Amino acid sequence: MDILLESPKSEVQSPMSSIQSQGVPGTPVLRLEGVARDFTDGRVVRRVLKETTLDILPGEMTVLAGPSGSGKTTLLTIMGLVLKPSAGRIIVGGEDVTGFSEDRLASLRRQHYGFVFQQAALIPALDVLDNVLVGTAIQGGRVSARTREKALELLSGLGLKDYLSSRPQQLSTGQQQRAGIARALVSDPILLLCDEPTSALDVESGRIVLDTLKRLSRDPRRGVVLVTHDPRVFPYADRLLKMEDGAIVYDTRSAPTGGN
Amino acid sequence: MLLHDRSTTAGAVLGVVAIVFLVGQQLAVMFGLFTLMSALVDNSGADIWILSQNSNNTSTAGDLPARYVDRLAGLADIEWAQPVIYSGAQLKLPSGRSQSVQIVGTTRPALEGGPWRMAAGSSDVLLEYDGATVDKLDLADLGNPKVGQVVEVNGKRIRIAGYTEGSRAFGPTVVFVNSTKAREITGISADRCTNILVKLKPGVDIRRVRAEIRELLPKASVLTVSELAWNIRVYNFTNTGIGSSFGFSTIIGILVGVVIITLTMYTNVLNRQRDFAVLRALGARRRDVFAIILFQALTIGAIGLLIGFFLLAGFLFGVKGSRLPANLPLWLPPAHALLTFLLCFLGSVLALRRALKIEPASAFR
Repeated sequence: MDILLESPKSEVQSPMSSIQSQGVPGTPVLRLEGVARDFTDGRVVRRVLKETTLDILPGEMTVLAGPSGSGKTTLLTIMGLVLKPSAGRIIVGGEDVTGFSEDRLASLRRQHYGFVFQQAALIPALDVLDNVLVGTAIQGGRVSARTREKALELLSGLGLKDYLSSRPQQLSTGQQQRAGIARALVSDPILLLCDEPTSALDVESGRIVLDTLKRLSRDPRRGVVLVTHDPRVFPYADRLLKMEDGAIVYDTRSAPTGGN
Repeated sequence: MLLHDRSTTAGAVLGVVAIVFLVGQQLAVMFGLFTLMSALVDNSGADIWILSQNSNNTSTAGDLPARYVDRLAGLADIEWAQPVIYSGAQLKLPSGRSQSVQIVGTTRPALEGGPWRMAAGSSDVLLEYDGATVDKLDLADLGNPKVGQVVEVNGKRIRIAGYTEGSRAFGPTVVFVNSTKAREITGISADRCTNILVKLKPGVDIRRVRAEIRELLPKASVLTVSELAWNIRVYNFTNTGIGSSFGFSTIIGILVGVVIITLTMYTNVLNRQRDFAVLRALGARRRDVFAIILFQALTIGAIGLLIGFFLLAGFLFGVKGSRLPANLPLWLPPAHALLTFLLCFLGSVLALRRALKIEPASAFR
């Protein structure tokens, strides 16, 4: 499992020169300044995420909790640079990326972000190893021997060494989710964003996945954000944020005492 | 991703096979007919044909003076010039019924413009006064006459002296005779003919000689073999049902294929929206999604092309030597492959439009 605790170190030089290709301990890997998001439903404009300011620090597991419709997925997708905010600024590795083009944001995600989706979301047409490598090759790039070696080490560390050539549908949901984690880690991201990673898992599989994510969050150069409404996740949080009606209503960092 | 869905892939491949085979088969038969239409001209051994004034193809030609041949003898660049007779006639079958035939009367002793491939023996049988040849493939239409059998054409007796093999033409069955017998059958007098065939000496500029002949014979139509062959094909294509029939079949083949490809590719994108959204979230740009869809379309195109060409080859092999003419010019398979890939691309346009609209954020819903 040592590979899971290695410092993030991107092979590919970032096109955004000022963005750190490695997270710097103590400084936020991601900062949101007054971000808000409106959705238009016909003629009615609805603010689903109220103005939010938030730092995601490396070496921390930040858990974002709240009921359905509270705005946590909207906040996660804005953090993930897949949804543009209606207002506010997004700062990644010290650089304001709010005005970046769609293509630059895609390149940024590919090089510096890792995503763990609900139900793994592996590509059924690809085997497990190719699923892990798909992110690195998605822009037509060649997969280097080092990246392939890294993928093999990750899969081995996550107990999937014997399933490299298996299709996702041949794996259990827990195994699929671990393959999804390997995919998220193969590019050594500075930020790992997890969307309800345990929602489809049984207790034991969920525990294995959470243990893995917790270990990953100990890396002082990587931030981990996990969105959930599953209370079993809360004890794993270094920082717990609770959302209601599009706003963060509770933050263990600013609360007088930490707790769930 | 499409290739993972075997049934969907099979559907798309089927669409391509439909395009490749149906369109290829239609075009092969059409080009086979084209070859047949101008077979008498293409295989005449001549470089230039002379027809009656204002005629641009053999179907509309009248007759012209045979003495034009003597005038042509004055041109230094001409190797030979021979009059021939083309005319419709009625052959009396053993059953008593009549069969339309096309009489081709070639001048002895050279027999230029005569049969170009014999099933056995030599075309010299036409040197005999009443000798005639018919093609093996047409024997059934003529009541299966045996070699040596005497039959009547326009009430005149001819003797089947040999069989040709593939010396056929578009339209009525061709009966080769010598020009003396042809005149007897058709009533065309000795000082007239329907066409004059001209062979040029090697290395001579055909356009220059054609211009000289036009100047020499201002009351005749002078065409190179390729010009006349083209005119005959265009005439038959536009004045018979061939053009509309083959055009319609080809268009239907293309439409069927494009619709199948479009539906399968589009359905696949609809079924795989989440996968595309995940890829976008992982860092795929719109152009990368475009490349994925295009790669899928071209892969399906290549598989369909291989199967379609295999079936087409089987079809061509099956009809070889039969009455159904089929011919694929060398340029047609690559052109057909290009058309197929283009249609695969067109078939994937709708899927592309849908896939490019998929937002990466939808991977989180």
